[in-house]
Amino acid sequence: MDLTLFIQQILNGLSIGSVYAIFALGYTLIFSILGIINFAHGAVFTLGAYFTYTLLGGAFGFNGLLANAQLPFKFSLAIAMLLGSIGAGLIGVMIERLAFQPLRKKGSDPLLTVVSSLGVAVAIANIIQYLVGAEIYTFPADAYGSLPSVINFGSATKPIPIRTVQIIIFTVSVMIVAILNYFITRTKYGKAMQAVAEDATTSSLLGIDPDKYIVLTFFVSSFIAGLAGALVGSSVGVAGPYFGIAFGLKGLAVIVLGGLGSIPGAVLGGFLIGLIEAFVPSDFSGYKDAIAFAILFIMLLIKPEGLLGRKFVQKV
Amino acid sequence: MQKQIFRPLSLLISCASLVVACSPNPPVSQNSPTPGNTAPSPVTSVAPANSQTDSKAIPIGLAVAQTSNVALLGQEQVVGAKIAEAYFNAQGGIGGTPIKLVIQDTGGEEAGAINAFQNVINQGQVVGIVGPTLSQQAFSASPIADRAKVPVLGPSNTAKGIPDIGEYVGRVSAPMSVVAPNSIKAALKINPNIKKVAVFYAQNDAFCKSETETFQQAIKDLGLELVTVQKFLTTDTDFQSQATNAINTQPDLIVISGLAADGGNLIKQLRELGYKGLIVGGNGLNTSNVFPVCQDKCDGVLIAQAYSPAYENKINQDFKTAYMSQKKAEPPQNSAQAFTGIQVYVDALREIDKQNKVTTIPLPELRTKLNEQVLKGKYDTPLGEISFTPTGEIVQKDFYVAEIKMDADGKTGKFVFLK
Repeated sequence: MDLTLFIQQILNGLSIGSVYAIFALGYTLIFSILGIINFAHGAVFTLGAYFTYTLLGGAFGFNGLLANAQLPFKFSLAIAMLLGSIGAGLIGVMIERLAFQPLRKKGSDPLLTVVSSLGVAVAIANIIQYLVGAEIYTFPADAYGSLPSVINFGSATKPIPIRTVQIIIFTVSVMIVAILNYFITRTKYGKAMQAVAEDATTSSLLGIDPDKYIVLTFFVSSFIAGLAGALVGSSVGVAGPYFGIAFGLKGLAVIVLGGLGSIPGAVLGGFLIGLIEAFVPSDFSGYKDAIAFAILFIMLLIKPEGLLGRKFVQKV
Repeated sequence: MQKQIFRPLSLLISCASLVVACSPNPPVSQNSPTPGNTAPSPVTSVAPANSQTDSKAIPIGLAVAQTSNVALLGQEQVVGAKIAEAYFNAQGGIGGTPIKLVIQDTGGEEAGAINAFQNVINQGQVVGIVGPTLSQQAFSASPIADRAKVPVLGPSNTAKGIPDIGEYVGRVSAPMSVVAPNSIKAALKINPNIKKVAVFYAQNDAFCKSETETFQQAIKDLGLELVTVQKFLTTDTDFQSQATNAINTQPDLIVISGLAADGGNLIKQLRELGYKGLIVGGNGLNTSNVFPVCQDKCDGVLIAQAYSPAYENKINQDFKTAYMSQKKAEPPQNSAQAFTGIQVYVDALREIDKQNKVTTIPLPELRTKLNEQVLKGKYDTPLGEISFTPTGEIVQKDFYVAEIKMDADGKTGKFVFLK
């Protein structure tokens, strides 16, 4: 492999890895607080993409209850993404209230909550299909204004082209990680979330309402999922109601590799899986997912807590 | 108070969603003749006795993907089949008896197709089935129909070996071994200097695997150099690594066997990363659903086709008019093939009806007679004139190669058929 190709694959790996990282961050936040995986996260990711497409003034196809529907107004991409992500965050709160809280209040087995979140994921995908069909929706080609579709990181003779949208996704992902890190470690709300994650009972004795911070966690997690969905949608379109499912599975591999409940771990895991995938040889290029899950399996065997996870995870 | 509302509501939503999404035996659609729960009796005739809506209708099964990531294809097939149902019923159906579609969703997996086939056979008591959508589903589900001696016509099963599944299994979708090489030849006509070819295919789809074998054989037969074979999954969205690897081999032509979403994204990313040569797409890209995915980057992609909306016979013009009045667009191949599947059954049933009234023939006997008649007949369809080999393979006269031409807005486009 020559140097140009090597550099290009590094950049390719970082760009897709950043998507995995922000996706896995949502899983990580909820796992930190509740000690369970929210399988509806992929569906919220999908919803974020659909919300943003709608707010961009996108029209729906000829299938579904909302066939040919279109908003009479449209927002710029940045505003549409922000509002779409807020919408996804609110859906996350609804999911918590409807599918998680009732089981938590009953003291049900966490496995039931996992099954409940799976049910919500399937329901959301079916509702999307019922409303807008299974068509592929693509963001307008000019969504990013006059930016070129590709930026050349090499020279004219040895080009290293990277899609501009991937660079944007990478940049936004890094910003999300930085903001989230600040929010969790430096703000009152973030510290309260950490306290609830550490021990909900004790934190409630200290005047922190665990329910309130669980809701906040779901909102933040789903907001990030919605933003990730919108960003990926702007890159590859919204490939139907099940489009978040593949990312959902990959996100699992990422958090196990990085360490369950660890925010830096989710980021590291995302970039590592992205880079490993980028360097899968051509003959095995269709086995990228298998390789990601093989890594998950090996990691579970030799270091179950992941690269940056805590050795003993306290379930709350 | 809040708790009192949320608890039952959440329980209701959870249960409803799980029932809707995961039910192994989803209810037959509104088009079905409300089948009963009893197993079919050997002497049951075609019209189920307990049907309340249309007791004399002749049920024909349509088991295609209306959900999952291949729902796009299945939805096109449902549209085509429903147009056929209305069209032939307006002509008087089968000697005055209407046909009735019994529609079942197969999803995109083999298990869903098996369930759907069992439902239309045992509950829907259909005389024949059009379906499933994917070849890999056909390899699992069609043997069930074959064992039950129920005729099956695959509307989009183009992989090798489909008619060999059994004597009751045929298809109205020409195999890619016949269709696909035409597009490579068309590419060579446009650019006779093509030497190096890169191939991409979705390895998790039986049809795409079968199709790429045909493409790769055609490439070798035409004396071209196969410089790289890149594999992906139909669920993939990021192709930068594979595209980079392929572009690095400096191909003159890239051949893609994938479906609309993945294939469209692959085309888009290949173009964005600087590939300027010709692209040939397989049958999975033979749908206008690919246009919104690759947008202006779709322009110039060559695709071999088994159907042309421009084909000039009466039934195609009628079909095209009906489709365009509903969807405001030209019909895609999947809709035309589903229409053709229903038409073949209708024409064959009409032939049988000339000798014995089909509603008086016991169902098992009618299914066997129908299978025999399907294989014997010649049909003037939207695909042109077709017939079948004794094993159920379609014999089709006309094939086409189309080039995608996107409109100036880059959002809409059309298939322009090459001469």
